[in-house]
Formats: sequence, C-alpha cells, structure tokens
Amino acid sequence: MMEIQLIINDINYKVDIDVNMRLIDLLRDKLGLTGTKEGCGEGECGACTIIMDGESVNSCLVMAFQANGSNIITIEGLENNGELDPIQRAYMEEGSVQCGFCIPGLIISTKALLDKHPNPTREEIREGMSGNLCRCTGYNKAIDAAQKAIEYLKEGQNDFKNSW
Amino acid sequence: MKKRGVGLGVSFYGTGYGNGFPDVSNAEVQLLEGGKVGIFVGATEVGQGAKTAMIQIGAEALNMDHKDIVLVSEDTSQMMDSGTAAATRQTYNTGNAVKIACENFNKRLFDLAKVELGLNSTAGLVAQDGDIYLGIFPQKRISYKDLSEKYKDDIIRVVGSFTAQTVKMDDETGQGAPYWPYTFNACMVLVEVDTNTGRVELLKAAFAQDVGRAVNPSLVKGQMDGGFAMSLGYTLFEDLALENGVMKNRKFSKYLLPTSMDMIDVENIIIEDPESTAPYGAKGIGEPVTIPIGPAILNAIYDASGVRIFNLPVTPEKLMKALRESEESEAI
Ligand code: FES
Ligand code: FES
Repeated sequence: MMEIQLIINDINYKVDIDVNMRLIDLLRDKLGLTGTKEGCGEGECGACTIIMDGESVNSCLVMAFQANGSNIITIEGLENNGELDPIQRAYMEEGSVQCGFCIPGLIISTKALLDKHPNPTREEIREGMSGNLCRCTGYNKAIDAAQKAIEYLKEGQNDFKNSW
Repeated sequence: MKKRGVGLGVSFYGTGYGNGFPDVSNAEVQLLEGGKVGIFVGATEVGQGAKTAMIQIGAEALNMDHKDIVLVSEDTSQMMDSGTAAATRQTYNTGNAVKIACENFNKRLFDLAKVELGLNSTAGLVAQDGDIYLGIFPQKRISYKDLSEKYKDDIIRVVGSFTAQTVKMDDETGQGAPYWPYTFNACMVLVEVDTNTGRVELLKAAFAQDVGRAVNPSLVKGQMDGGFAMSLGYTLFEDLALENGVMKNRKFSKYLLPTSMDMIDVENIIIEDPESTAPYGAKGIGEPVTIPIGPAILNAIYDASGVRIFNLPVTPEKLMKALRESEESEAI
C-alpha cells in the first residue's frame, strides 16, 4: 500500500493504492470513474485513453503510482456545469456514436489533438484517432464531429473575446 | 510498382429469419400518466439505432411529437418478445409491429373518445399531438391527458404483432420464396496495389444502398460507413486463426481491425424505393452493408494486378505469393 496525490478533473485526490495497481483500475474500481473503458488491457485499442499532464495516454499501461502528482482529465471531466463539451456535443449532433464503447476514448483523443493543434486537416484528425479502435462506425462520423468541434471551439473563443 | 484498379461489387440480401421460419415481432402501446404514450418493445439497441427508429415510426403512426413518446425496451419482464436484433430484421419486422400497435392504440382511443364526447361513431376522428378531435367539428375534442386521468384505473394498453411472410424452400425442388423483403446495394472502389510489398491501399469508394425509405438518414449513413469498415477489415486484415475451435490470435495486436488511417471517406448514396409491406417503406440494412465491399476490393485488386484472390483476408504475404505465381506462369 502507498498513498498518492493527484488531480483528476480538477478535483484533488489523496488515495491509498496497491503498488501493482494500474491507473485504469484506480479510476474505474476505486474512484468509480467508469466512463473510461477497458477493451484490451494491452495498449492496442485506446478505449482507456485519458489525458495525463496534457498528453493522451492509455491508462491500462500506466501504473497508478506513476500518476502520483499528475493532472488527469477523463471523459467525466469534459462536461462543464451540466453543459456538454463542444466535442461531446459535436459527436452527438453528427451521429458519431453507435454502441458507444470506444467513444470516451475517441472523444479524449479528439480533445488531446485539438488542445495541441486547434486547426488540424482531415488527414491529421485521422492520424490523431488512429490509436482508437472502433468496431461499429468506420470513424468517418467521428472525424466529421472533430471538424464540427473545431468550429464550435473557434466560435466559443470569439464569444469569449466578444464578452470582453 | 504501384498499380491502380477499380472494382465493383453488387449484392441483394433477404432480411429476416427467412425460409418459412416464424419471424414474429410484438409491440405494446400504453397511455401513460399525463398523456404521454409508452411504446414497449423488445427490440434490443446495440448501437444500430433501433430505439431511435422505433420512436420515429411510433411518432409518425401516432401523429405526435417524438418527445411525448416514452420507449421502453430490452426488459423482458415488461414487454412481449420482438425477436432478436439480428438478421437485419428490427426496422422492418419490429417497425411493422410498432406501427400496427400504434394504429390499434388509436382505434382504441377513438372508441373511448366516442363515448366521452357523446358521438354516434368514431368516423372522422383525428389524432394529433396528443388530442383527439372530430375533423368536421374540431371543438369536439379530448386530450390524451384527460383520457389518462379518466381511465387511470383501467390501463389502456394494446398490442400489435407482425409476422413476416416467407415460404420455405422445397427440399426436393428448391422452390419457394425464402425471404421478403430483399435489399440491394452496389459498391465501387479504386485501389492501389504495391507489387513490391503486396500492400493494398484504398483510394476512393462510392457505396449505394437501397433502404426502402430512410427512417433516419444519418443512422443509415453511419451504418453504411460501419459496414464498409467492417468489410474492409474482413477483406484485408482480419484473420480468425482458429485451431480446434479456439482462436489463437485473441489480441488486437494479432487480430487486426482497421484503424481510422485504413478507413477512407466513402461517398454514401441512399436509394429510396419504398417497400409496400414495410413500415413507411423502410427496410433494414444492418448486414447487407457489409456484403458488396469485399467483392469490390477483390475485383479492383484483379483489375490492378491481374491476380484473382479467392481466400480472405488478402494479406500482403498472400498477395505477394499470388503475384509471384502469376509472373512465373507467364514466364513459362
Ligand atoms: S484497454 Fe488500454 S489500450 Fe485497450
Ligand atoms: S461505437 Fe461501437 S466500438 Fe465504436
């Protein structure tokens, strides 16, 4: 047992963990953040994608103790005061979701990409999503959603600027 | 060397269980407290959009806003059976059951409205947005809300059932009508074959799917994209390495699914030719959308390289071997 401290979705946590616990188990089993999914447990499917200190990572490949002192965003952290994140909204509006299992991971990968590159091309979006396997959708509507989210994010910034 | 080729695949596909097998869907419609309407149906949602489609079909049949409809599904203690979410059958089969149940529900409410409004007959009654009124004298009107209060001790719940019509094929002669309805589709692709590595790359694709009528065009296109990607994987990557019934490559690192980089933008074309026995003409497309893609890719590989592959998936090794063999046989 050891104690770690970390920030998840803007909340400070102090938790006791087993040294051989994976980050995904900490999130899902210990903290109840079950939006993050486990598909393969070996870094191939991307269902467990989260953002850790600004980088998208597979939480099944990170040990919980390695997250000590880090700042993490999971799918639960995207919604803001009951409002969907523009990326989530775009996924809904474009009909990008079928069974939904891969979607938290895909949305987080989309966010990780847009946080760094606010204006990617369609090909760059494809690349940014290539670590996330989806059995249902063929990805194209997720790419449409990412493009729509880019517009929303731009408008949001303008609104923000205009409000000043 | 990189060689390009185009290929076409076409298919027709019978939906439902078929071949005379009893294919039954049931739906129930109930007047709820406050005048909303509940549709109880066994259709399982696995991401294909059954819930959305059933609500849309219900809203059309009930002539009311989809927001006033509550769909309850997948709880076998609360509803009758609507068969499996399989065989591309929910939109057509269960969609028909929902439509019939809604029509029965309207008839039932008309009978009650006749009594409540003191009319001689149900003729000319209209159901619209949660009201029932007499077309020739619209002041004669009662709302679902009022009806639900009046009949709260006497639950108004009606059933609709649909059984698909199929005829078993004769064992001797092979004669029959094993499926109804059929859906049709066509896919054309442009590929590039790298004759040095055996890699096949998709460059362009167009895909046309007959749906009878698209209940929800966005869902239809989503299914077309998904079917395309699934079939692309089946054709080029996915190899179920079975040994004595056990899959040996049970890992995504060994069983390759297409990624977003393997998939391309597909020009999806929805063909609407309403089917007379279907709910508002709509047919299912779940399985058919996976069918013509593989043949189209194989034909394009042949067009590009002159090599016919008869065994899936077309891995680079397999294609290289076939290319070498065809060169050798040409040399002889
Ligand atoms: S569960 Fe982590 S990559 Fe699949
Ligand atoms: S929506 Fe089902 S796996 Fe992506």
